[in-house]
Amino acid sequence: MQWKQFITPVASLDADAARAFIGDHKEGTYTLLDVRQPGEYEKARIPGARLVPLPELADRLEELDPDRPVIAY
Amino acid sequence: MPFLRGDETTQEIIVLAYGMEEGLRGFYTAVSERTDDPDVAGLADKLSEIEERHKERLFALYVSMHSTIALRETFESDIVTGIMEGGFTTEEFMDHNRDAMTTVPDLLSIAMMLETQALDLYMRYSEKIQDAPGKGVLYDLAEEEKGHLTRLGRLMEKKV
Repeated sequence: MQWKQFITPVASLDADAARAFIGDHKEGTYTLLDVRQPGEYEKARIPGARLVPLPELADRLEELDPDRPVIAY
Repeated sequence: MPFLRGDETTQEIIVLAYGMEEGLRGFYTAVSERTDDPDVAGLADKLSEIEERHKERLFALYVSMHSTIALRETFESDIVTGIMEGGFTTEEFMDHNRDAMTTVPDLLSIAMMLETQALDLYMRYSEKIQDAPGKGVLYDLAEEEKGHLTRLGRLMEKKV
């Protein structure tokens, strides 16, 4: 098995870059998406993040605005 | 082939999916061996068995389209190995990500990432494939991988 073929390339931001992005963009122009489990979300989250747990994401994509950039964590 | 091209033939998709299922099976086997948590080991063992059954379904689908290949050993040695060259093995993957797999939530997070990749692959290619039975098999496998994600998510809820 060779894993790298299956990892869909997506742009990654480190914490500093994500902080800078949030600071540079007005609220409502991007989506902060928390794909962790509800218990993790309840314990700690980035303010304003929206919870859609990963197991539900494929069935709830229509809830996301396709015109806004999405930062997922 | 560093990433999927997007224009793979139906046969190539089946072979790639077979290789991915073998990777998942190997991953869950490695997780089961490395964890001390009985819940995680139990789920990893179950998922490993299911991925093996996925391989069987994919091989049967391949045979239905390629009557010249009848032996699974030949399929694995001559076809899957050839198309899967490059990249890194499950052991290398585990070693490479060792620091990110020290706790039970870490292991579950990596498992959920890999299942998401599997779901993504099946969803994308079930749309592309023209052969109706093949499309059905890929949709079924996507649905089952989604079920795995749900089970992993429930266990994550229990462990965090």
